[in-house]
Amino acid sequence: MFMLGDFIRVLRAAEVRISTAESIEAAAIVETIGLGDRQLMRTALSQALAKTDAEKDAFHACFDEYFGAMLDAVKSSDNGSSAEDASADGASSDTQDPHEQDSGDISSEATPSHDLAEMLLNNDEAGLAARLVQAASDADMSDVRLFTQQGLFTRRIMEMMGLEEVEAAIQNARNSGDGEYESNLRHARQRLFEMARDFVEKQIAMRTANSGKLVREEALSRIKLSNLDRSDMHIMRGLIAKLAKRLAALHSRRQKRSKRGLIDVRKTLRKNQSHDGLLIDLQWRSVEVSRPRLITMCDVSGSVAAVSRFLLMFLYSLDEVMPRTRSFAFSHACGEITDLFDRMEPEAAMTDTLMRFGGGSTDYGNAFTDLARLVMDDLDHKTTLMILGDGRSNYGDPGHEILREMSNRCRRVIWLNPESKALWDTGDSEMKRLGAYCHTVQVCNSVRHLERVLDDMLRLSI
Amino acid sequence: MKTNTETAVTAIETISRGFADIGYICDQDIATALFLARQLQKPLLVEGPPGVGKTELAKAAAEYLNLDLIRLQCYEGLDESKALYEWQYGKQLLYTQVLREKLSDLMDGAKGLDESMARLNGFEDVFFSEQFLLPRPLLSALRSEAGCVLLIDEIDKADNEFEAFLLEILSDYQISVPELGTIKAKVPPLVFLTSNNTRELSDALKRRCLHLFIPFPDPKREAEIIATRVPDLDARLRQHLVQFVAAIRGQDVKKPPAVSETIDWARALILLNAKDLTPEFVASTLNVLLKFKSDIDIIEPQLTTLIRESDPAPITRGA
Repeated sequence: MFMLGDFIRVLRAAEVRISTAESIEAAAIVETIGLGDRQLMRTALSQALAKTDAEKDAFHACFDEYFGAMLDAVKSSDNGSSAEDASADGASSDTQDPHEQDSGDISSEATPSHDLAEMLLNNDEAGLAARLVQAASDADMSDVRLFTQQGLFTRRIMEMMGLEEVEAAIQNARNSGDGEYESNLRHARQRLFEMARDFVEKQIAMRTANSGKLVREEALSRIKLSNLDRSDMHIMRGLIAKLAKRLAALHSRRQKRSKRGLIDVRKTLRKNQSHDGLLIDLQWRSVEVSRPRLITMCDVSGSVAAVSRFLLMFLYSLDEVMPRTRSFAFSHACGEITDLFDRMEPEAAMTDTLMRFGGGSTDYGNAFTDLARLVMDDLDHKTTLMILGDGRSNYGDPGHEILREMSNRCRRVIWLNPESKALWDTGDSEMKRLGAYCHTVQVCNSVRHLERVLDDMLRLSI
Repeated sequence: MKTNTETAVTAIETISRGFADIGYICDQDIATALFLARQLQKPLLVEGPPGVGKTELAKAAAEYLNLDLIRLQCYEGLDESKALYEWQYGKQLLYTQVLREKLSDLMDGAKGLDESMARLNGFEDVFFSEQFLLPRPLLSALRSEAGCVLLIDEIDKADNEFEAFLLEILSDYQISVPELGTIKAKVPPLVFLTSNNTRELSDALKRRCLHLFIPFPDPKREAEIIATRVPDLDARLRQHLVQFVAAIRGQDVKKPPAVSETIDWARALILLNAKDLTPEFVASTLNVLLKFKSDIDIIEPQLTTLIRESDPAPITRGA
């Protein structure tokens, strides 16, 4: 069963989460259904190992690649022959090679010299495939990490398959002067090389493809959003979608928390009427945890625009757990952009927003006045107000009086500042005055920060 | 000597045919899942959009295997007392009232509180015995003599506590009851869990089950299903119908029509004696397929085009 373990390792590298118990189950399944039918194996294993939509897609891709890789390597290295459908996991082959010792079984023994040469010359696909599989496990393909190891592994596999015998055969042919046989053997050796090379290439692609992506995503989640390159945008989008999905899954249950220790007397009495008033069934006071109501205000001027873009993107991916979000953009004036994001794709909506509000220099006084006019009536004890800005009002009125009034009305005010803490209160930064009326003030300039902020907000919404 | 593979493949084909005889058309995936669930005695988690036949699958399995079907419908707030067992408090109280006389007879001769308590202790088990136990679906499933099919429907509507509670049953087919001890299943039931994917199920639950996803069927299979369920429908009309429904599913609708809706529509066609899919007829019965006004508004303008494009053998008028 070494192949199954290796296959599961490949699956895990492709982000399919498989627990030890599931892999044991998979082994039991393989034993039950046997190795003969590839389609059956594909279906059965997908039911035991891949338990979400994304995992099923990844599984099917991996299965086809993994079990197809060996066949492809053998077939592609020989252009002339007809495709023989020999399953790589050892279905009975119908080749007539008299020298073949085994019928394409996975655990084929190493056969004595000249067999490899014979197999290559006779185009014994099943035998070659079996040899390749055995060589791959002997050469420890599962250790491959980098594409630079390709040459090394190709050589190793060729040797495991029996390169030496072929070389010896070529030498013999040269000594005995049989020119035609010698040139055939040279072709055979070339074919062996191409087979091994193609196989190793595919294996490396399969095993290391995802590790690069994961490393990149990890790095991207930490860098400052204002430093991002255009070319990283689509990876960022994927990353944000992934994080949003995770948060949504975590918080999608509407929690009903029954406070322990507080008995709801009225409910208890009513419930126990049928028991003649004996308090057999106690009912506890329960508190419903409702979804937060969010009002976001984002600075879209200058460098803060980059962070705003990602915050809005994140918010709109979370709209199933935060359905009642109203968003506003400001620089010198403030306006609502909720319907832009409802109607258009996030990219287009963002461009439109920047066009409308992104022009001037930031004026918090004006912006807060506008916001108050639009939203003051909507602020209640269930609303959270989230402001994303650097607090720099160009030495103008910071509008902190209005902020104070809004802060009194809503449940919480969160201020997110893309600048590092050392820069707060320097120059025209009004963080001290504005921060005084906020419940939380945080640095927020990377995807990590965004994720943490939103997770806290979802979790603490009581 | 048959290899494992051949046995497996034959068994799966037998299952397919057996289900087709009962009237449930299943494809390779479903038959394989059933075979594995039965062989390995593992629960089967069936996910998919509503209306594709997940609950029907469990019912068909019960019929095919000739076992009882025990159904537990999940909802938020479902707890142990409604799922596992309950004591019949009312009955217990009633019996105490009725037996009040008898009680004083029993206590007769006991001097002082201690002795009375000792006497009463001896009878403690009377009121917590089997006759006052009200078994709910899970307990009945565990206790059934000949085995059964246990259907836990819409597990994604239940809350986290209930999911955690189910874990013991799913892995070991046993449950611990404080008063009665551990109850182990005599014959492990065949467990089906269905889910509409409204929320992510916990990993612990998924880990213990085999996972089967039933998507919307392709037109060919849907035609087979309609042929089985609504045999009176003309073959050409049936083809047109399934192609049309497949076309609607391709559009951007909020709730794509499911298999059950296709079957209902086929029955409507027969009931209303329709010979052909005309735009007027389709428009008047569109609410059988689409259950949201916004969806109907999207599809209605395109009706003629969709009907024409999905017609498998258009009758040419004139040359």
